[in-house]
Amino acid sequence: MNEEFIHKWKSQVKKGILELVVLNILSKGDYYGYELIEEIMKYTSIDIAEGTLYPLLIRLKENNLVTSKWVEQESGIPRKYYTIAPAGSEVLSEMKSYWDGLNSSIQKIK
Amino acid sequence: MNKINFKSSSAQHIYDDYMRRVDKCIALLGEADKTELVMELNSHIYEAMAKDANGNEVDCLLEVIAGLGVPEEFLKPLVAGKKLDQAVRSFNPKHVFQAISLNLRSGFIFSFFGLLYLFLFSFILLIVAKIFFPANTGLFFRGNSFSAFGFITGTDGLTEVLGYWLIPLSIITALFCYTCITLLLRLKRKR
Repeated sequence: MNEEFIHKWKSQVKKGILELVVLNILSKGDYYGYELIEEIMKYTSIDIAEGTLYPLLIRLKENNLVTSKWVEQESGIPRKYYTIAPAGSEVLSEMKSYWDGLNSSIQKIK
Repeated sequence: MNKINFKSSSAQHIYDDYMRRVDKCIALLGEADKTELVMELNSHIYEAMAKDANGNEVDCLLEVIAGLGVPEEFLKPLVAGKKLDQAVRSFNPKHVFQAISLNLRSGFIFSFFGLLYLFLFSFILLIVAKIFFPANTGLFFRGNSFSAFGFITGTDGLTEVLGYWLIPLSIITALFCYTCITLLLRLKRKR
């Protein structure tokens, strides 16, 4: 089996669905960055370089799909909480129905 | 921003070094973006360290940093994208140049932009050359046939036909190149 090919393919799929995963988790509640990564790890087997999540969150914010706010902590190191925006919920719903359609098409081929 | 204070001097050194690398990677971003990103990564490190408060600080920090990834790699696409946004918004030549150089590996189109930019600077250099070396700079013909355009050293038997008209023509061409680059960048960003 071509391990390298499979590895690259898996990596591309993971990258492609990361936005869907992040928006889906944020639709359940507000999370700060580190907590969000823990949730991703808990529900999926996506092992991402955690640093890549922050540029992704910035991109989602720039597209008005999420909002964020800094919340001061006793430690003096604030947490940045992310919330899904109404536009983000709409996009998520669209992504989910596309994903379901794609999945059912693949199932038919199988 | 409140920096994290470690008990171990080795851990402090590793942390300071990592944050310095982050600062260096995002040096081209605007102040607000820089602060936001540094605070976010700082918070990530703090929260991850707090989860394993009883473990060895150095080991724990190294694990957290390894998890975050190499800043030069995971921050590069972000900086390149942000610079591109800044370039298409401002039309500022400095930002346009930085955006092109940062995105050169992002496909053929940016190599084309790079060439256009080189072309633009060639015309600016040509203006300077015309001022200081008027006899060696211009559009040269040998008899009725084209011989050279630009700066040449040997002009024997050649006639320069543009004279100082080369300067306004170069300015117009450079401006045209610059407008093309910026509009194409804007188009590329929208897609």
